[in-house]
Amino acid sequence: MLSTLLFFILAATSLISASAMIFFKQPINSTLSFIVTLLSIAGLFALLGGSFLFLVQIIIYAGAVVTLILFIIMFLNIKEENLPDEPHKTKWIVFMSLLVSPFAAILISTVNTIKFAPLHLENFGSIKAVGMKLFTKWILPFEMISILLLIALIGVVILAKKETSHD
Amino acid sequence: MIDVGSFFILGILLFSIGIVGMISRRNIFVMYMSVELMLNAVNIILVALSHHYEDLNGQVMAIMIIAIAAAEASIFLALFVMLFKNARSLDANFFELLKQEKHND
Repeated sequence: MLSTLLFFILAATSLISASAMIFFKQPINSTLSFIVTLLSIAGLFALLGGSFLFLVQIIIYAGAVVTLILFIIMFLNIKEENLPDEPHKTKWIVFMSLLVSPFAAILISTVNTIKFAPLHLENFGSIKAVGMKLFTKWILPFEMISILLLIALIGVVILAKKETSHD
Repeated sequence: MIDVGSFFILGILLFSIGIVGMISRRNIFVMYMSVELMLNAVNIILVALSHHYEDLNGQVMAIMIIAIAAAEASIFLALFVMLFKNARSLDANFFELLKQEKHND
């Protein structure tokens, strides 16, 4: 019963703040409402038994990625005239929602035909079990992720480097 | 009572909101956050499947997606700083100005 209540609170929070994110004109308002979405998604992970993912979602997404976005927005010192002029924003969003909703309806009706087991809240998804999986079966993708992060690091340094003129 | 299917429906709705934001907005920060929202929707569905089958591979996949999203964030934000220095605007229509100019040497 408690899990049902928690699910509806978290789902409503994430849906409302995600909709608010695409409606706000100022990017800083969008980012702050995106943090609310990410935190409620972290709560949903905890509800599904992903205790490690709950921590990772808060530390990496809400702590690192969104903070980086906020830092860049404040660093760029965005004025009103720097924002794109979007006079038909609400019209676009309503029209696109009408266009996307049939596909979402098809997917939801497909999911409703599947018979799912109810939520069980016993001990599942402990951090030790996830770590064993990560370091035995998934060791090769894990190492490849480290190479990917290194490539991203080099790419950012090259992008941010001052262009040296030859003349 | 809720079941795992409720999480599927929530993931589908969040993914649809991400698509709508990606297509209908021209502010590059909002477009980028819509992409992140779509990745998060997929993460919810993966973790729900992992809970349904009582198999931890789905959670490990979600961790991989989060790591890739972190790498993506750094590249995106470096591109945004470059764009803002060149065009003084956050409009995605100016993104072609990032093309490298031809050097006369």
